[in-house]
Amino acid sequence: MPSSDHFVALIAAVEQADSAGALFEATRALASALAVQGKEPMGPPPPEGALTCLVSILGFNNPGAAVAAVDGLIASGPAAVLPLLEGLDGQNYGARAWAVRALAGIGDVRGLELLEAALGDDIGPSVRRAAAIGLGTLDVAHLTAQERRTVQERALGALECGAQDGEWVVRYAVATAMEKITPRLQDLEDGHRRAVATLHRLADASEEEAPVVCLRARLALSRLVSP
Amino acid sequence: MPDPGGGDLPLTAAGEPITEAEAHRRLRSEDPSLQYYAAWWLGKMRSQHPDTVPLLMEALQHRQPREVGVGVERNAVARNAARALGKVGDGRAVPELLAALADEDDGLREAAARALGELGAEAAVATLCARLASGLEGAGASRPDSPKLQEPCEALIEALGDIGVVREEVVATIQPFIHHERPLIRSAAARALLQLTGDESFGEHLLQLLDHPQLQVRRAALMDLGAVGWRVALDSIRRTHAENSLKLIALRGLVERGHGEPSTETLLEAMDALL
Repeated sequence: MPSSDHFVALIAAVEQADSAGALFEATRALASALAVQGKEPMGPPPPEGALTCLVSILGFNNPGAAVAAVDGLIASGPAAVLPLLEGLDGQNYGARAWAVRALAGIGDVRGLELLEAALGDDIGPSVRRAAAIGLGTLDVAHLTAQERRTVQERALGALECGAQDGEWVVRYAVATAMEKITPRLQDLEDGHRRAVATLHRLADASEEEAPVVCLRARLALSRLVSP
Repeated sequence: MPDPGGGDLPLTAAGEPITEAEAHRRLRSEDPSLQYYAAWWLGKMRSQHPDTVPLLMEALQHRQPREVGVGVERNAVARNAARALGKVGDGRAVPELLAALADEDDGLREAAARALGELGAEAAVATLCARLASGLEGAGASRPDSPKLQEPCEALIEALGDIGVVREEVVATIQPFIHHERPLIRSAAARALLQLTGDESFGEHLLQLLDHPQLQVRRAALMDLGAVGWRVALDSIRRTHAENSLKLIALRGLVERGHGEPSTETLLEAMDALL
């Protein structure tokens, strides 16, 4: 397992990187150290300095480094949620888009509001598709039944709207997300029926113009019937 | 490689929502910048209104020599009209698009070739071949004064592949371009030859291009593999360094156009992992 000195050195390498290539390599090294530590069930939490460092990289307009940083943040799990939400620069579109992807991958309910807004309003289809997946995979196991109902109602409602998105890839992601969310809707009265109804619409070639979306929705329906 | 985005979006009017009637009104106007956007919009929406095709054909006929630097010039309208006619998908446009293949504006020839490919216009095969017949030294030669080639080879070759008329002379016309010095032309030739002959050695050419050091080339190979739907490419598509958005478009092509192994379910799972 990486020591805390090791993390100090890795963070320093990111801060001192003087080229796009060096930043990418340093980010990747830091992210993989976090991934190694994240796999230790009893290991110490990821150092906060490492997480805020990765969050700051999301705003650097370096896609390679941002991808690596998102991987590191997702590997760190719920510990990365607050640094992500607090480090969010509302004015920096690129940084917000990467943060949405990280939050979608982590699946923590504290990201719900941002994911809802991203699926509904973000101009980038790649951000909307990531948000859809995130909404389908929120971890609600630790919540009370009442809290679960609230979260699932909002996530399902956002996905129902996302099923009408103008971009095929977002509707595809909604079909995938519906498959993931449906088995977890037991606290929500009528939730299962609504999710399946949306999948039936996406599976209907007279309503859905992209054959690949229909195929994905049909796969979801078949798996839900006989998992 | 077809443009994966919206094509030439006018900067002033990007995404502005208008109605079909408004698009027709603008196309009837005399203002080229209004016509330009209207033509693009009708194509994007694949408008099926009975007035759409006659209006677009009229816009295509009103072309004139290019005037560089006068804002939105007439020929820009003609080019957008040609693109839109390909998307609207009405065979009545074929003769007018064929005439545009002889225009001196190579941008218009390119747009017309792509539209004829989208329309699957078998009547265009002989003309498309004729424009490529001079081979690497003629059609495929670089121009001294610009980065372009003598002919819009990529569009002409891809159109022949999309139209799909398998004749010896078509294959023989495209074949030399598999050795073109530019990787994007090689990609287009490999794509068309794989579509026409089913010979998997052309697929291998595309897989090699997925390892090309230039991102632009890897993107083109992704789009070309998607256009063919060659499912063997799944693992190479997964591995190549390019945006997930483009990999998803390519895999959609494998799902919708391809057959055999890997299965549709395997392909869909690969797409899920890229979301």
